[in-house]
Amino acid sequence: MPTELNFRCEIPVIDANVGVGHRHDRPSPFADAPALLAQMDRHGVDQALVYHVQGEQVSALDGNDALHEWVAAGAGRLQPAWMASLGPESLQQLQQLHADRLVRAVRLHDTMSLPTPLTSWIYGDLLEWLQQEGIPLWISLADNDPVELADTLADFRALRTVIVGAHYVHAQLVAPLMKHLPRSCLELSRFETPGAIEDLVTQIGARRLLYGSFCPRYAMGPILWALHRQQIDAAQLQRILDGNTRELLGLETEVFS
Amino acid sequence: MIADAPVIDFHGHVGNWEPIGMLDDPLRMLHAMDRAGVDRACVFNIFHPEGRRGNDSTAAFVAQHPDRFIGFAYVSPMMPGTIEPELTRAIDELGLQAIKIYPPYTTYALDHEAWHPIFAFAEERGLTVISHTDNGELSEPRKFGAAAARFSGARFVAGHSGNVEPFRTQAIEMAQAHENFYLETCSTFRQPGVLEKLVAGAGADRVLFGSDQPLMDPRVQLGKIITADLTDSEKRLVIGGNAQRMLNLI
Repeated sequence: MPTELNFRCEIPVIDANVGVGHRHDRPSPFADAPALLAQMDRHGVDQALVYHVQGEQVSALDGNDALHEWVAAGAGRLQPAWMASLGPESLQQLQQLHADRLVRAVRLHDTMSLPTPLTSWIYGDLLEWLQQEGIPLWISLADNDPVELADTLADFRALRTVIVGAHYVHAQLVAPLMKHLPRSCLELSRFETPGAIEDLVTQIGARRLLYGSFCPRYAMGPILWALHRQQIDAAQLQRILDGNTRELLGLETEVFS
Repeated sequence: MIADAPVIDFHGHVGNWEPIGMLDDPLRMLHAMDRAGVDRACVFNIFHPEGRRGNDSTAAFVAQHPDRFIGFAYVSPMMPGTIEPELTRAIDELGLQAIKIYPPYTTYALDHEAWHPIFAFAEERGLTVISHTDNGELSEPRKFGAAAARFSGARFVAGHSGNVEPFRTQAIEMAQAHENFYLETCSTFRQPGVLEKLVAGAGADRVLFGSDQPLMDPRVQLGKIITADLTDSEKRLVIGGNAQRMLNLI
Protein backbone atom coordinates (compact mmCIF):
# COMPACT_ATOMS: atom_id res chain seq x y z
CA MET A 1 0.00 0.00 0.00
CA PRO A 2 1.61 3.27 -1.06
CA THR A 3 2.00 5.87 1.61
CA GLU A 4 4.16 8.82 2.51
CA LEU A 5 6.21 10.04 5.40
CA ASN A 6 3.87 12.97 6.00
CA PHE A 7 0.13 13.21 6.35
CA ARG A 8 -2.55 15.84 6.47
CA CYS A 9 -6.20 14.87 6.12
CA GLU A 10 -7.57 16.02 2.77
CA ILE A 11 -11.21 15.09 3.26
CA PRO A 12 -13.74 16.74 5.60
CA VAL A 13 -13.22 15.85 9.22
CA ILE A 14 -14.70 16.86 12.56
CA ASP A 15 -12.79 15.99 15.71
CA ALA A 16 -15.49 14.81 18.13
CA ASN A 17 -13.40 14.94 21.31
CA VAL A 18 -11.31 18.00 22.13
CA GLY A 19 -10.82 19.52 25.56
CA VAL A 20 -10.00 23.21 25.82
CA GLY A 21 -8.60 25.39 28.55
CA HIS A 22 -6.26 24.67 31.41
CA ARG A 23 -7.45 22.05 33.90
CA HIS A 24 -6.74 22.67 37.59
CA ASP A 25 -4.00 20.03 37.52
CA ARG A 26 -3.06 19.99 33.84
CA PRO A 27 -2.17 23.09 31.81
CA SER A 28 -2.94 22.80 28.12
CA PRO A 29 -0.32 23.29 25.39
CA PHE A 30 -2.98 25.24 23.46
CA ALA A 31 -3.65 28.39 25.42
CA ASP A 32 -6.32 29.89 23.23
CA ALA A 33 -8.54 29.28 20.22
CA PRO A 34 -6.02 30.47 17.60
CA ALA A 35 -3.45 27.99 18.92
CA LEU A 36 -5.97 25.16 18.75
CA LEU A 37 -7.07 26.19 15.26
CA ALA A 38 -3.44 26.16 14.13
CA GLN A 39 -3.10 22.60 15.43
CA MET A 40 -6.29 21.60 13.61
CA ASP A 41 -4.96 23.17 10.41
CA ARG A 42 -1.72 21.22 10.70
CA HIS A 43 -3.65 17.94 10.65
CA GLY A 44 -6.40 19.00 8.26
CA VAL A 45 -9.18 19.02 10.86
CA ASP A 46 -12.00 21.32 9.78
CA GLN A 47 -14.07 21.50 12.95
CA ALA A 48 -13.91 20.28 16.52
CA LEU A 49 -16.44 19.55 19.20
CA VAL A 50 -14.91 21.19 22.26
CA TYR A 51 -15.63 20.99 25.98
CA HIS A 52 -13.90 22.90 28.74
CA VAL A 53 -11.74 20.62 30.88
CA GLN A 54 -12.63 22.48 34.09
CA GLY A 55 -15.90 20.62 33.81
CA GLU A 56 -14.31 17.18 33.99
CA GLN A 57 -13.73 17.09 37.74
CA VAL A 58 -14.18 20.54 39.28
CA SER A 59 -16.97 22.70 37.85
CA ALA A 60 -19.17 22.30 34.82
CA LEU A 61 -20.69 25.68 35.66
CA ASP A 62 -17.36 27.49 35.45
CA GLY A 63 -16.13 25.42 32.54
CA ASN A 64 -19.20 26.24 30.50
CA ASP A 65 -18.84 29.92 31.30
CA ALA A 66 -15.27 29.77 30.02
CA LEU A 67 -16.26 27.82 26.92
CA HIS A 68 -18.14 30.78 25.46
CA GLU A 69 -14.94 32.66 24.67
CA TRP A 70 -13.43 29.64 22.90
CA VAL A 71 -16.47 29.23 20.69
CA ALA A 72 -16.58 32.96 19.99
CA ALA A 73 -12.93 32.96 18.94
CA GLY A 74 -13.23 29.75 16.97
CA ALA A 75 -14.04 31.24 13.58
CA GLY A 76 -17.11 29.03 13.39
CA ARG A 77 -14.96 25.89 13.61
CA LEU A 78 -15.42 25.07 17.31
CA GLN A 79 -18.74 23.53 18.30
CA PRO A 80 -19.53 23.51 22.02
CA ALA A 81 -20.13 20.39 24.08
CA TRP A 82 -21.48 21.77 27.33
CA MET A 83 -20.50 19.95 30.48
CA ALA A 84 -23.05 18.51 32.92
CA SER A 85 -22.39 17.75 36.56
CA LEU A 86 -24.37 17.19 39.73
CA GLY A 87 -27.05 19.38 41.17
CA PRO A 88 -29.95 21.48 39.95
CA GLU A 89 -27.67 24.40 39.10
CA SER A 90 -25.95 22.42 36.37
CA LEU A 91 -29.20 21.34 34.77
CA GLN A 92 -30.56 24.88 35.03
CA GLN A 93 -27.48 26.23 33.26
CA LEU A 94 -27.90 23.71 30.46
CA GLN A 95 -31.58 24.51 30.13
CA GLN A 96 -30.82 28.21 29.83
CA LEU A 97 -28.17 27.52 27.19
CA HIS A 98 -30.71 25.39 25.36
CA ALA A 99 -33.28 28.16 25.58
CA ASP A 100 -30.65 30.40 23.98
CA ARG A 101 -30.37 27.80 21.17
CA LEU A 102 -26.72 27.07 21.93
CA VAL A 103 -26.85 23.36 22.77
CA ARG A 104 -25.98 20.67 20.23
CA ALA A 105 -24.22 18.28 22.63
CA VAL A 106 -23.72 17.74 26.36
CA ARG A 107 -20.87 15.89 28.01
CA LEU A 108 -21.10 14.28 31.45
CA HIS A 109 -18.44 15.01 34.06
CA ASP A 110 -16.15 12.44 35.65
CA THR A 111 -18.32 10.53 38.12
CA MET A 112 -15.46 8.38 39.36
CA SER A 113 -13.36 11.21 40.81
CA LEU A 114 -15.95 11.64 43.57
CA PRO A 115 -18.28 9.06 45.17
CA THR A 116 -21.23 9.97 42.97
CA PRO A 117 -22.35 6.84 41.16
CA LEU A 118 -23.89 7.21 37.73
CA THR A 119 -27.40 6.11 38.71
CA SER A 120 -30.88 7.14 37.63
CA TRP A 121 -31.72 8.40 41.11
CA ILE A 122 -28.84 10.89 40.88
CA TYR A 123 -28.65 11.72 37.16
CA GLY A 124 -32.19 10.82 36.10
CA ASP A 125 -33.44 14.40 35.75
CA LEU A 126 -30.53 15.31 33.47
CA LEU A 127 -30.83 12.17 31.35
CA GLU A 128 -34.60 12.49 31.07
CA TRP A 129 -34.27 16.10 29.92
CA LEU A 130 -31.59 15.28 27.33
CA GLN A 131 -33.71 12.44 26.01
CA GLN A 132 -36.79 14.64 25.83
CA GLU A 133 -34.97 17.42 24.00
CA GLY A 134 -33.12 15.08 21.64
CA ILE A 135 -29.70 16.27 22.80
CA PRO A 136 -26.90 13.72 22.46
CA LEU A 137 -24.77 12.96 25.53
CA TRP A 138 -20.98 12.42 25.34
CA ILE A 139 -19.84 10.20 28.21
CA SER A 140 -16.42 8.81 29.05
CA LEU A 141 -15.93 5.11 29.61
CA ALA A 142 -12.66 5.91 31.37
CA ASP A 143 -14.28 8.37 33.78
CA ASN A 144 -17.41 6.40 34.61
CA ASP A 145 -17.99 2.93 35.97
CA PRO A 146 -18.82 0.72 32.98
CA VAL A 147 -21.53 -1.21 34.82
CA GLU A 148 -23.24 1.96 36.06
CA LEU A 149 -22.93 3.47 32.61
CA ALA A 150 -24.46 0.46 30.90
CA ASP A 151 -27.27 -0.06 33.39
CA THR A 152 -28.24 3.58 33.76
CA LEU A 153 -28.18 4.54 30.10
CA ALA A 154 -30.24 1.44 29.28
CA ASP A 155 -33.10 3.07 31.21
CA PHE A 156 -33.17 5.93 28.67
CA ARG A 157 -33.68 4.05 25.45
CA ALA A 158 -34.29 7.07 23.25
CA LEU A 159 -31.24 8.99 24.49
CA ARG A 160 -28.46 9.20 21.94
CA THR A 161 -25.05 8.76 23.52
CA VAL A 162 -21.44 8.87 22.40
CA ILE A 163 -19.08 6.72 24.42
CA VAL A 164 -15.61 8.26 24.54
CA GLY A 165 -12.34 7.20 26.13
CA ALA A 166 -12.53 3.45 25.55
CA HIS A 167 -8.99 2.08 25.56
CA TYR A 168 -7.18 -1.21 25.73
CA VAL A 169 -8.44 -2.22 29.15
CA HIS A 170 -11.95 -1.96 27.73
CA ALA A 171 -11.12 -4.05 24.65
CA GLN A 172 -13.35 -6.97 25.57
CA LEU A 173 -16.33 -5.00 26.82
CA VAL A 174 -16.79 -2.44 24.04
CA ALA A 175 -18.61 -4.68 21.55
CA PRO A 176 -21.05 -6.08 24.17
CA LEU A 177 -21.61 -2.56 25.49
CA MET A 178 -22.45 -1.24 22.03
CA LYS A 179 -24.94 -4.07 21.55
CA HIS A 180 -26.42 -3.38 24.99
CA LEU A 181 -26.87 0.32 24.11
CA PRO A 182 -28.12 0.33 20.51
CA ARG A 183 -28.53 4.13 20.40
CA SER A 184 -24.91 4.70 21.33
CA CYS A 185 -21.93 5.60 19.16
CA LEU A 186 -18.26 5.06 19.97
CA GLU A 187 -15.60 7.76 19.71
CA LEU A 188 -12.29 6.18 18.72
CA SER A 189 -9.44 8.35 20.05
CA ARG A 190 -7.98 5.78 22.45
CA PHE A 191 -9.35 2.57 20.97
CA GLU A 192 -6.31 0.90 19.47
CA THR A 193 -6.52 -2.84 19.96
CA PRO A 194 -5.26 -4.26 16.63
CA GLY A 195 -8.10 -4.81 14.21
CA ALA A 196 -10.76 -3.69 16.68
CA ILE A 197 -12.03 -0.79 14.59
CA GLU A 198 -12.44 -3.00 11.52
CA ASP A 199 -14.24 -5.53 13.71
CA LEU A 200 -16.64 -2.88 14.97
CA VAL A 201 -17.38 -1.69 11.45
CA THR A 202 -18.45 -5.25 10.69
CA GLN A 203 -20.27 -5.82 13.97
CA ILE A 204 -22.15 -2.58 14.54
CA GLY A 205 -21.50 -0.54 11.39
CA ALA A 206 -19.55 2.59 10.54
CA ARG A 207 -22.63 4.69 11.35
CA ARG A 208 -21.90 4.24 15.04
CA LEU A 209 -18.22 5.19 15.04
CA LEU A 210 -16.71 8.68 15.31
CA TYR A 211 -13.24 10.12 14.89
CA GLY A 212 -12.04 11.99 17.95
CA SER A 213 -8.55 12.75 19.17
CA PHE A 214 -8.85 13.46 22.93
CA CYS A 215 -6.63 16.46 22.25
CA PRO A 216 -4.72 17.92 24.06
CA ARG A 217 -4.05 14.79 26.10
CA TYR A 218 -3.55 12.94 22.82
CA ALA A 219 -2.26 14.35 19.55
CA MET A 220 -4.78 14.83 16.75
CA GLY A 221 -2.82 13.09 14.04
CA PRO A 222 -2.10 9.47 15.01
CA ILE A 223 -5.62 8.08 15.16
CA LEU A 224 -6.56 10.16 12.12
CA TRP A 225 -3.73 8.58 10.13
CA ALA A 226 -4.62 5.15 11.52
CA LEU A 227 -8.23 5.52 10.39
CA HIS A 228 -6.96 6.09 6.86
CA ARG A 229 -5.11 2.76 7.12
CA GLN A 230 -8.20 0.70 8.03
CA GLN A 231 -9.62 -1.80 5.58
CA ILE A 232 -12.87 0.08 5.16
CA ASP A 233 -14.36 1.80 2.13
CA ALA A 234 -14.31 5.52 1.42
CA ALA A 235 -17.94 6.02 2.41
CA GLN A 236 -17.39 4.32 5.75
CA LEU A 237 -14.30 6.41 6.39
CA GLN A 238 -16.18 9.59 5.57
CA ARG A 239 -18.95 8.66 7.97
CA ILE A 240 -16.45 8.07 10.77
CA LEU A 241 -14.47 11.22 10.12
CA ASP A 242 -17.32 13.62 9.55
CA GLY A 243 -20.79 12.40 8.67
CA ASN A 244 -21.84 10.76 11.92
CA THR A 245 -20.75 13.66 14.10
CA ARG A 246 -22.39 16.09 11.70
CA GLU A 247 -25.67 14.17 12.04
CA LEU A 248 -25.46 13.94 15.82
CA LEU A 249 -24.83 17.66 16.14
CA GLY A 250 -27.46 18.60 13.59
CA LEU A 251 -24.95 20.49 11.48
CA GLU A 252 -25.81 21.36 7.95
CA THR A 253 -24.59 18.69 5.58
CA GLU A 254 -21.39 19.66 3.84
CA VAL A 255 -21.67 19.87 0.08
CA PHE A 256 -18.63 18.57 -1.74
CA SER A 257 -17.75 18.99 -5.34
CA MET B 1 8.06 0.26 3.43
CA ILE B 2 7.02 3.85 3.60
CA ALA B 3 8.38 6.08 0.84
CA ASP B 4 11.03 3.41 0.18
CA ALA B 5 12.12 3.47 3.83
CA PRO B 6 12.09 0.22 5.81
CA VAL B 7 9.72 0.14 8.76
CA ILE B 8 10.71 -2.02 11.73
CA ASP B 9 8.59 -2.28 14.86
CA PHE B 10 10.94 -2.74 17.81
CA HIS B 11 8.34 -3.67 20.45
CA GLY B 12 5.83 -6.50 20.11
CA HIS B 13 4.57 -9.42 22.12
CA VAL B 14 3.97 -13.12 21.77
CA GLY B 15 1.55 -14.70 24.23
CA ASN B 16 -2.06 -14.09 25.10
CA TRP B 17 -3.63 -11.81 27.69
CA GLU B 18 -7.23 -12.18 26.63
CA PRO B 19 -8.95 -10.18 29.44
CA ILE B 20 -7.61 -7.04 27.73
CA GLY B 21 -7.93 -8.38 24.22
CA MET B 22 -4.26 -9.14 23.61
CA LEU B 23 -4.11 -12.16 21.31
CA ASP B 24 -1.00 -13.12 19.37
CA ASP B 25 -2.71 -14.09 16.13
CA PRO B 26 0.05 -13.61 13.54
CA LEU B 27 -2.40 -13.08 10.68
CA ARG B 28 -4.19 -10.36 12.58
CA MET B 29 -0.86 -8.72 13.42
CA LEU B 30 0.32 -9.00 9.82
CA HIS B 31 -2.89 -7.42 8.58
CA ALA B 32 -2.33 -4.37 10.78
CA MET B 33 1.36 -4.28 9.81
CA ASP B 34 0.53 -4.47 6.11
CA ARG B 35 -2.04 -1.72 6.34
CA ALA B 36 0.46 0.46 8.20
CA GLY B 37 3.45 -0.34 6.01
CA VAL B 38 5.44 -2.16 8.71
CA ASP B 39 7.95 -4.58 7.19
CA ARG B 40 9.13 -6.45 10.26
CA ALA B 41 8.25 -6.59 13.95
CA CYS B 42 10.34 -7.64 16.95
CA VAL B 43 8.46 -9.88 19.36
CA PHE B 44 9.07 -11.46 22.77
CA ASN B 45 7.13 -13.37 25.41
CA ILE B 46 7.37 -11.94 28.94
CA PHE B 47 4.90 -14.23 30.68
CA HIS B 48 7.21 -17.08 31.70
CA PRO B 49 9.93 -16.25 34.25
CA GLU B 50 12.01 -19.32 33.50
CA GLY B 51 12.31 -18.11 29.92
CA ARG B 52 12.17 -21.46 28.20
CA ARG B 53 8.45 -21.77 27.56
CA GLY B 54 8.10 -18.19 26.42
CA ASN B 55 11.21 -18.25 24.26
CA ASP B 56 10.08 -21.46 22.62
CA SER B 57 6.76 -19.84 21.82
CA THR B 58 8.54 -16.79 20.41
CA ALA B 59 10.73 -18.96 18.19
CA ALA B 60 7.70 -20.93 16.98
CA PHE B 61 5.83 -17.71 16.27
CA VAL B 62 8.73 -16.26 14.28
CA ALA B 63 9.17 -19.52 12.37
CA GLN B 64 5.70 -19.10 10.85
CA HIS B 65 6.75 -15.83 9.16
CA PRO B 66 10.52 -15.50 9.47
CA ASP B 67 10.61 -12.72 6.90
CA ARG B 68 8.27 -10.56 9.01
CA PHE B 69 9.06 -11.26 12.67
CA ILE B 70 12.27 -11.08 14.69
CA GLY B 71 12.41 -12.86 18.04
CA PHE B 72 13.94 -11.52 21.25
CA ALA B 73 14.77 -13.65 24.31
CA TYR B 74 13.25 -13.14 27.73
CA VAL B 75 14.69 -14.12 31.11
CA SER B 76 13.98 -12.97 34.65
CA PRO B 77 16.20 -12.39 37.70
CA MET B 78 13.43 -14.03 39.72
CA MET B 79 14.94 -17.32 38.52
CA PRO B 80 18.65 -16.48 38.44
CA GLY B 81 19.81 -20.02 37.78
CA THR B 82 18.13 -20.04 34.41
CA ILE B 83 19.55 -16.79 33.07
CA GLU B 84 22.81 -17.82 31.45
CA PRO B 85 21.81 -21.26 30.18
CA GLU B 86 18.50 -20.00 28.83
CA LEU B 87 20.01 -16.96 27.15
CA THR B 88 22.68 -19.18 25.60
CA ARG B 89 20.02 -21.56 24.32
CA ALA B 90 17.70 -18.80 23.12
CA ILE B 91 20.41 -16.94 21.22
CA ASP B 92 22.50 -19.83 19.93
CA GLU B 93 19.86 -22.48 19.32
CA LEU B 94 16.61 -20.58 18.80
CA GLY B 95 18.20 -17.72 16.90
CA LEU B 96 16.65 -14.95 18.97
CA GLN B 97 18.46 -11.70 18.36
CA ALA B 98 18.18 -9.45 21.41
CA ILE B 99 16.99 -9.54 25.01
CA LYS B 100 13.81 -8.21 26.58
CA ILE B 101 13.42 -7.63 30.32
CA TYR B 102 10.36 -6.56 32.30
CA PRO B 103 10.98 -5.19 35.82
CA PRO B 104 7.28 -5.04 36.89
CA TYR B 105 7.25 -8.84 36.91
CA THR B 106 10.18 -8.90 39.34
CA THR B 107 11.07 -7.42 42.72
CA TYR B 108 14.28 -5.81 41.46
CA ALA B 109 14.83 -2.25 40.33
CA LEU B 110 16.82 -1.91 37.12
CA ASP B 111 19.95 -0.79 38.98
CA HIS B 112 19.94 -3.87 41.21
CA GLU B 113 22.79 -6.30 40.71
CA ALA B 114 20.30 -9.12 40.16
CA TRP B 115 20.10 -7.90 36.55
CA HIS B 116 23.86 -7.93 36.03
CA PRO B 117 24.15 -11.47 34.65
CA ILE B 118 21.75 -10.48 31.87
CA PHE B 119 23.61 -7.27 31.10
CA ALA B 120 26.97 -9.06 31.24
CA PHE B 121 25.71 -11.64 28.77
CA ALA B 122 24.54 -8.89 26.44
CA GLU B 123 27.85 -7.10 26.72
CA GLU B 124 29.84 -10.25 26.02
CA ARG B 125 27.75 -10.95 22.91
CA GLY B 126 27.33 -7.33 21.80
CA LEU B 127 23.54 -7.61 22.09
CA THR B 128 20.75 -5.13 22.67
CA VAL B 129 18.62 -5.20 25.82
CA ILE B 130 15.18 -3.60 25.74
CA SER B 131 13.45 -2.96 29.05
CA HIS B 132 10.05 -1.68 29.98
CA THR B 133 10.53 1.77 31.54
CA ASP B 134 7.96 3.96 33.24
CA ASN B 135 7.22 5.85 36.44
CA GLY B 136 7.41 2.74 38.64
CA GLU B 137 10.15 2.44 41.22
CA LEU B 138 11.54 -0.65 39.53
CA SER B 139 11.51 0.72 35.99
CA GLU B 140 12.84 4.26 36.14
CA PRO B 141 14.97 5.17 33.12
CA ARG B 142 17.80 6.54 35.28
CA LYS B 143 18.23 3.09 36.82
CA PHE B 144 18.46 1.57 33.35
CA GLY B 145 20.94 4.30 32.49
CA ALA B 146 23.15 3.07 35.29
CA ALA B 147 23.34 -0.27 33.50
CA ALA B 148 24.25 1.46 30.24
CA ALA B 149 27.13 3.18 31.99
CA ARG B 150 28.45 0.00 33.57
CA PHE B 151 27.99 -2.36 30.61
CA SER B 152 29.19 -0.18 27.78
CA GLY B 153 29.56 -3.06 25.35
CA ALA B 154 25.81 -3.65 25.21
CA ARG B 155 23.03 -1.42 23.85
CA PHE B 156 20.13 -0.46 26.08
CA VAL B 157 16.68 0.50 24.76
CA ALA B 158 14.20 2.21 27.07
CA GLY B 159 10.84 0.76 26.07
CA HIS B 160 8.12 3.45 26.20
CA SER B 161 10.85 6.07 26.77
CA GLY B 162 9.76 6.38 30.41
CA ASN B 163 6.11 6.60 29.32
CA VAL B 164 5.14 9.75 31.26
CA GLU B 165 6.77 12.90 32.55
CA PRO B 166 9.09 13.48 34.29
CA PHE B 167 10.37 10.03 33.42
CA ARG B 168 10.29 10.77 29.70
CA THR B 169 12.69 13.64 30.31
CA GLN B 170 14.76 11.32 32.47
CA ALA B 171 14.99 8.83 29.60
CA ILE B 172 16.17 11.59 27.28
CA GLU B 173 18.81 12.58 29.82
CA MET B 174 20.05 9.00 29.91
CA ALA B 175 20.37 8.99 26.13
CA GLN B 176 22.33 12.23 26.32
CA ALA B 177 24.61 10.77 28.97
CA HIS B 178 25.22 7.34 27.44
CA GLU B 179 25.86 6.73 23.75
CA ASN B 180 24.63 3.14 24.07
CA PHE B 181 21.20 4.22 25.38
CA TYR B 182 18.20 4.40 23.02
CA LEU B 183 14.55 5.40 23.29
CA GLU B 184 11.60 3.41 21.98
CA THR B 185 8.29 5.12 21.22
CA CYS B 186 5.28 2.94 22.03
CA SER B 187 2.93 4.20 24.68
CA THR B 188 -0.75 4.58 25.41
CA PHE B 189 0.10 8.22 26.11
CA ARG B 190 0.18 10.27 22.92
CA GLN B 191 0.44 13.91 23.90
CA PRO B 192 1.22 16.39 21.12
CA GLY B 193 4.93 16.97 20.72
CA VAL B 194 6.25 13.81 22.40
CA LEU B 195 8.05 12.47 19.33
CA GLU B 196 9.49 15.88 18.60
CA LYS B 197 10.81 16.09 22.16
CA LEU B 198 12.42 12.64 22.02
CA VAL B 199 14.17 13.40 18.74
CA ALA B 200 15.25 16.88 19.76
CA GLY B 201 16.62 15.58 23.05
CA ALA B 202 18.24 12.31 22.12
CA GLY B 203 18.83 12.71 18.38
CA ALA B 204 16.96 10.95 15.60
CA ASP B 205 19.62 8.24 15.49
CA ARG B 206 18.66 7.11 19.00
CA VAL B 207 14.89 6.83 18.72
CA LEU B 208 13.17 3.61 17.63
CA PHE B 209 9.59 3.06 16.51
CA GLY B 210 7.71 0.48 18.58
CA SER B 211 4.02 -0.38 18.76
CA ASP B 212 3.46 -2.83 21.64
CA GLN B 213 1.35 -4.96 19.32
CA PRO B 214 -0.87 -6.93 19.78
CA LEU B 215 -1.76 -4.81 22.80
CA MET B 216 -1.87 -1.76 20.58
CA ASP B 217 -2.33 -1.31 16.86
CA PRO B 218 0.83 -0.41 14.94
CA ARG B 219 -1.28 1.87 12.75
CA VAL B 220 -1.90 4.25 15.64
CA GLN B 221 1.61 4.00 17.05
CA LEU B 222 3.25 4.55 13.66
CA GLY B 223 0.83 7.41 13.11
CA LYS B 224 2.54 9.21 15.98
CA ILE B 225 5.71 9.40 13.90
CA ILE B 226 4.13 10.05 10.49
CA THR B 227 2.13 12.98 11.87
CA ALA B 228 4.94 14.38 14.03
CA ASP B 229 6.72 17.59 13.13
CA LEU B 230 9.99 15.89 12.10
CA THR B 231 12.01 15.99 8.91
CA ASP B 232 11.75 13.11 6.46
CA SER B 233 15.32 12.05 7.21
CA GLU B 234 14.55 11.96 10.95
CA LYS B 235 11.44 9.89 10.32
CA ARG B 236 13.38 7.42 8.17
CA LEU B 237 15.77 6.76 11.03
CA VAL B 238 13.04 6.43 13.65
CA ILE B 239 10.66 4.17 11.72
CA GLY B 240 13.30 1.64 10.79
CA GLY B 241 16.74 2.92 9.92
CA ASN B 242 18.03 2.73 13.45
CA ALA B 243 16.57 -0.71 14.10
CA GLN B 244 17.99 -1.97 10.82
CA ARG B 245 21.44 -0.88 11.93
CA MET B 246 21.16 -2.22 15.48
CA LEU B 247 19.88 -5.63 14.38
CA ASN B 248 22.42 -5.89 11.54
CA LEU B 249 19.66 -6.14 8.94
CA ILE B 250 21.44 -4.02 6.35
